Amino acid sequence: MFKDLNPILHSQLRLAVMSLLISVKEAEFTFIKEKTNATAGNLSVQIQKLKEAGYIEVVKQFRDNYPQTLCHITPAGIAAFEEYVASLQGYLGGRNE
Amino acid sequence: MKEAEKPMTEQESLALITAMINKAKETRHDTGLAAIMWGTVIAVCSLVRLSELQFNYRLPFDIYYLTFLAVVPQVYFSVKEGKERKVKTYGEDFFDYLWIGFGICIFLMIFITSTMFSDLNPAAAAYRESSGNSFAFRLNEYVSALFLLLYGLPTFVSGISMKFKPMLWGGIFCWVACLVTLYTPGKIDLLLVAVSAIFAWLIPGLIMEKDYRKAKKEIARQHV
Repeated sequence: MFKDLNPILHSQLRLAVMSLLISVKEAEFTFIKEKTNATAGNLSVQIQKLKEAGYIEVVKQFRDNYPQTLCHITPAGIAAFEEYVASLQGYLGGRNE
Repeated sequence: MKEAEKPMTEQESLALITAMINKAKETRHDTGLAAIMWGTVIAVCSLVRLSELQFNYRLPFDIYYLTFLAVVPQVYFSVKEGKERKVKTYGEDFFDYLWIGFGICIFLMIFITSTMFSDLNPAAAAYRESSGNSFAFRLNEYVSALFLLLYGLPTFVSGISMKFKPMLWGGIFCWVACLVTLYTPGKIDLLLVAVSAIFAWLIPGLIMEKDYRKAKKEIARQHV
């Protein structure tokens, strides 16, 4: 039996955000928007969901009088992402057998 | 990415993860300006000193003071790049600390060699006076080797870590030149330092700058 894929991560935009954040130390909201080609509204909603799940931390601050939103992945987020990838590999491995 | 949540297959998920990780990897685009500036400054200093020796003249100031002046634009470039940076990768901290450490080593080496000169010169003068012979040991024949040894380290490490061959070969060039200067006269040493600075920093810096402009144009094109 395969484990169900984590529904928080098994979503196109949330998975894209997590894949970006796992590769970097921290990223600005504008960087994530640029790389995912998402709209600001949709991205905000999905980032909020990831934040509520405890997978990412969001820091809002001001830099040179402009608001800046910084995101970084948490240890819980790393563990969930690794588990998700392992489950995916399990599914794909099972199919290939 | 579409607003609606569309179901993904496992293959699509893996493909998305791979694509995003690759996009994040492509992020580091050094402007190359600092490398261009340092490559130029070190090459100019060495060539001017060489011309002073070759044509028997002396500038009213030590040309190597240019290296102290170059710290000002370096700080400006670092602050500017830091402000423009929208993402911080794990590797960037490493490179920043590596080059800061290198800068500290260079200024310590300048201090060490000038202390050695000031200690050795009176001893050489005393030897000449007492023996009537010239003092055979010339410290300045070895100074270039010490600096080239240092130049090679961060250049090689940066080149190999970033998989950026021009810098990797530039670092190796510095170390080869370091060995060669042990057996060549002072004027050739200065020429080798200039050529090393060109290979290690100026040329890689120009390539980085070209890549940076290309990447910036590409991003602008995608957002039209």
